[in-house]
Amino acid sequence: MSLASRVGLRLEPRVENPRWMNWAVPVCSFLAALLVGAVVLLITSQNPISVYSRILERGFLDSGSLSGTFISATPLLFTGLCAAVAFKVGFFNIGGEGQFYVGAIFASGIALALGADAQSWIAVGAMVLAGAVGGALWAFIPGILRAYFRTNEIITSLMLNYVAGIGATYLIFESNSFWRELSGTGAVFPKGKIIPLSAQWPSFDLGSLVVPFGLLLGAVVAIWLHVLQRRTRFGYEMRVVGGAPSTARYAGMRPARVIVAVATLSGALAGLGGAADVGNFRHVLDPKGLQQSGFGYAGIVVAALARLNPIAVVFVSIILGGITNAGYALQGPDFPAGLVGTLEGLILFCTLGGEVLVRYRIVSLRRQGVPA
Amino acid sequence: MTTDVDPKAVTAPAVAAFGISKRFPGVIANDDVHFDVRIGEVHALLGENGAGKTTLSNILTGLYRPDVGHLELSGQRVSFDSPRDAIDAGIGMVHQHFRLIPTFTVAENIALGAAQDGERVLLDMASVERRITELGEQFELGVDPRARIWQLSVGEQQRVEILKVLYREAKILIMDEPTAVLTPLEADALSQTLTSLTRQGRSVIFISHKLGEVISIADRITVLRQGRSVETIDAAGATRESLAAVMVGREVERVERRGVGALPGAPVVLSVHELIAEGDRGLPALRSVSLDVRGGEIVAVAGVAGNGQRELVEVLAGLRPRVAGRIEVDGEVLDRADARHPIRMGVAYVPQDRLGTGLAPDLSIAENLVLKRYRRPPVSRPPFLRSSVIDAEAEVLMEQFDVRAPSSQTPTRRLSGGNVQKVLLAREMSGRPKVLVVSTPTQGLDIGAVATVHQLLLDAAAEGVGVLLVSEDLDEVLALADRVVVMYEGSVTGVVDASDATIASLGVLMGGGCSEEGT
Amino acid sequence: MSVNSNLLVIIFASAIFYGTPLVFAAVGELLAERSGVINLGVEGMMLLGAVSAAMVAANVDGPAAVVLPVALVAAMVAAGLGAAIHAFLVVTLRVNQIISGLALTIFAGAAGLSSYLANVWGLGKQPAMNQFGRMDLFGLKKFPVLGPILFDQTLLTYLSWVLVVLVMVYLFRTRMGLHLRAVGESPQTADSVGVSVTRYRYGHVIAGGMLAGVAGACYSLTIVPTWANGLTAGEGWIALALVIFGFWRPDLTLVGAYLFGALSSLSFTLQARGIDVPTAFLDALPYLATIVVLVIVSNSRISKRLGSPAALGRPYEREER
Repeated sequence: MSLASRVGLRLEPRVENPRWMNWAVPVCSFLAALLVGAVVLLITSQNPISVYSRILERGFLDSGSLSGTFISATPLLFTGLCAAVAFKVGFFNIGGEGQFYVGAIFASGIALALGADAQSWIAVGAMVLAGAVGGALWAFIPGILRAYFRTNEIITSLMLNYVAGIGATYLIFESNSFWRELSGTGAVFPKGKIIPLSAQWPSFDLGSLVVPFGLLLGAVVAIWLHVLQRRTRFGYEMRVVGGAPSTARYAGMRPARVIVAVATLSGALAGLGGAADVGNFRHVLDPKGLQQSGFGYAGIVVAALARLNPIAVVFVSIILGGITNAGYALQGPDFPAGLVGTLEGLILFCTLGGEVLVRYRIVSLRRQGVPA
Repeated sequence: MTTDVDPKAVTAPAVAAFGISKRFPGVIANDDVHFDVRIGEVHALLGENGAGKTTLSNILTGLYRPDVGHLELSGQRVSFDSPRDAIDAGIGMVHQHFRLIPTFTVAENIALGAAQDGERVLLDMASVERRITELGEQFELGVDPRARIWQLSVGEQQRVEILKVLYREAKILIMDEPTAVLTPLEADALSQTLTSLTRQGRSVIFISHKLGEVISIADRITVLRQGRSVETIDAAGATRESLAAVMVGREVERVERRGVGALPGAPVVLSVHELIAEGDRGLPALRSVSLDVRGGEIVAVAGVAGNGQRELVEVLAGLRPRVAGRIEVDGEVLDRADARHPIRMGVAYVPQDRLGTGLAPDLSIAENLVLKRYRRPPVSRPPFLRSSVIDAEAEVLMEQFDVRAPSSQTPTRRLSGGNVQKVLLAREMSGRPKVLVVSTPTQGLDIGAVATVHQLLLDAAAEGVGVLLVSEDLDEVLALADRVVVMYEGSVTGVVDASDATIASLGVLMGGGCSEEGT
Repeated sequence: MSVNSNLLVIIFASAIFYGTPLVFAAVGELLAERSGVINLGVEGMMLLGAVSAAMVAANVDGPAAVVLPVALVAAMVAAGLGAAIHAFLVVTLRVNQIISGLALTIFAGAAGLSSYLANVWGLGKQPAMNQFGRMDLFGLKKFPVLGPILFDQTLLTYLSWVLVVLVMVYLFRTRMGLHLRAVGESPQTADSVGVSVTRYRYGHVIAGGMLAGVAGACYSLTIVPTWANGLTAGEGWIALALVIFGFWRPDLTLVGAYLFGALSSLSFTLQARGIDVPTAFLDALPYLATIVVLVIVSNSRISKRLGSPAALGRPYEREER
């Protein structure tokens, strides 16, 4: 007898979902995570209240922090959308990381190619397009392999993350490529060429808040995705294919094409993130920095917490961005490194656990059975 | 256990049930069931879906405990706390859906079946294989112990299942609908196996709902109806009619068969000419099948499951490529294996797998109702879907087809079997098809739902739709069809007018024979 | 010995040396996957193991023969606990295995708990007091060619060989191994014969975690003297690829681990010798090779004999009765 049946409990699928659960459970999970985090902090002789209040302060509370949070949130927004769109169709795209890099490569490449004389809106537009195309191409491969060669996309997209990382590193550190700054110190210490000023993405001042163009772009894309999923024929096909490919085929849809299309779309989103990263923030192709940030993987966390809903991704990315931002800002001897990841992980664990309560309810075990 | 010969044991039945009752919330599954099985007897448990056969067998195998009543084995009262107890007591179950692991060998599966026996750490496959061969010879159940399950035919796989229980020294075997997946040839082989088993002192409890089979295989038959054991009859004197009467409790009413079928001059809406197609494993599934359906007639495809019916409907629906042959819908040729083509040409298809293929379970009823029409106006104004139109149409259809659900936004996975089928028929029939292909539409439905579905099919035919009905239920076939096409191993063995057909003659055709009198 | 064969010796010896953590991690993950559970948290569990072992090695003074085993045990416990969280979520709560595993990596990984603990314990400031040195096994180091390759390794490497043999025997010749494989292929069938799917999954996921912990300990106890955040540098992900590359068999996984190890040490070694090779290509090769293998495995008849456990990745819900 399992432990559960000895304790007398069992999980039973819910028949109906009360509306309030859809937001109550994630919020409670979040709070639960903070609680567990507080315990961890206490055990390791930190003061949770002080740590949390500093995170709140440095992440959200003053406009300077909030602006910094927007910066951290932007890449997460795109990789979150990337994962949300893909997972919804049952395509587990773990390759957001690599697709982000390739987007950054393409975007920085075109910005450098257009040069300092290009008009701003052309350069920015070209970067957006190039980033999307780059990411799309990188996701297209695992998409095709899954749709037509029945190959699991988790591993293929994961492997391509590494190939992309190696590629980006090669461009800056192991070759004298177009991306590399060869003059000045660049001849000795490898680094990328900075993109021209005209190609750098703007940020808008809203009072004392600074909102990066990338974030706005991301929000618009999120809304567009929402409409796509709920109100278009393609979105309908996505939902049917996500449910069961056999139903899709029966209805005359082509699940393979839908999956490849969604995979490509998902990659394009991550690629946009890479473009935004280069355009709005780093202004240069920075393989080391990119690999350290791990935006692609964090995006999956964002998508999971947002329950794969594009609009929710916007908000979750800001929250997670805030925590990350606070982590950077507070780094020092008295703010332990690694706290950000630990908290994020806890939030995700608790949310996953809480999600169970939405789908199932706990029932006390009586010897029950299904009638013949 | 006594060591002396217990006088009761000599004449006591192998297993007997006394007043077994079992209830679940809302339903009484078994109500004061009495029956007994003699040593060396094949005893059938006959009843419709929902009669209580499964619950009773679950009690016999220790999965459930009866609320009231008890079991006796060889005259000794027993009580099982778990399936293990039942197995130790010598009761073994051969399931309808095999519990075999395809990538394992026969021996590995059987060794797994004995998972809880013995304490040895290392496997001794050699002795397992030896024992399998021994048992195979003893009971005429030869199988290569080293073969992998995916390499075996269905009949051979069933033998492995039987060997599994024999390996654990079962004296009483319970078989759940064992011939459901066998060809007539394999069913004969099974019948011989049962004889072999009973000659060697084993007892078999045979669960079935097939009248003819039960009469020919069993020694005695216990009929269950609505949870009660109504009567135990000797097979020798029973007839289909007498059994049916006991099963249903009244004279079986035939559904009104409509007139003579297609109206004179009705066009041929579906023409299949020498169709050849392959199955999933690349083996031939359809060997030159030809049939016609006229507008307004119901043509039934009868046969044991697995003789090509599934492949036939899949080719018609554009879900499987054809190797050769021609298909015409109202004169227009259907060529590629593209599901959109038949849909556009007016072929409606209700698949056997309702929730897995026919519907998207997480989508709402309304969304499912437009599954085949979502690409065009009025349901969509590309690229957008028009939810107002979708919802309005759903309301109308749900009303028309009497679909019972909280609302049109309810996800279809929450509907009962009958309502799922109504949604499917509503969708397929509302598209004004020329041909309606339905595959086992009443399987697993309760009597009320069955009647509704039958009426819907008759209505469709009345409106001039050509209906192709694939069914394993000969009673249903005889009630609804105008003509019956019988399939066996991918070929058509006979096309009979329903008025000339009898269960016996159809059974012969289903078994691969030719239509001969008196066979 | 010519320069070339010397070079080969170094390459192979390094392949084995650097491949050892991969062997532990991959065999561990293989056990979990054989039970039907995919655990993407390998990288995180390795880091948990690494940091725990580093803590013991850096702070506990004593004879190596005592400290090192204690460090290993600490690594196994820490990583095992991480795996237990994953097991609880995916087996009992039936959460999506991909996301749970990723959560574990983020939680425990380079930006997470392992770095946090390293910080709290003050690691990274000084090298370990004890480490596994090379062991000359049975004095066979002097054997030509094979000697320095095979027999000049650390104790952990030799233990990894023993592990591979034991797991092979376990999987294919014991009843528990049969039960495990059944759970991974068809949990319904296993359940119906009384094999507890829950227990097997929990047990093997946690065992897999413990082995990942040992893998992490390889880093802090043999490869790198001083702790650095994220010192496993993504090898956990490679271990995941290795399981597939090795067709879920420990013997093939061993070969794969050394192959991957060889490829990565190849580029270092060649460069050190002044031989200019596009390292990027060599570095990318293992990943590309895994993709190719995966495509093959998913598409040919091989999949019937050498494919993934059929129930991998799907939660098991016993039909409510």
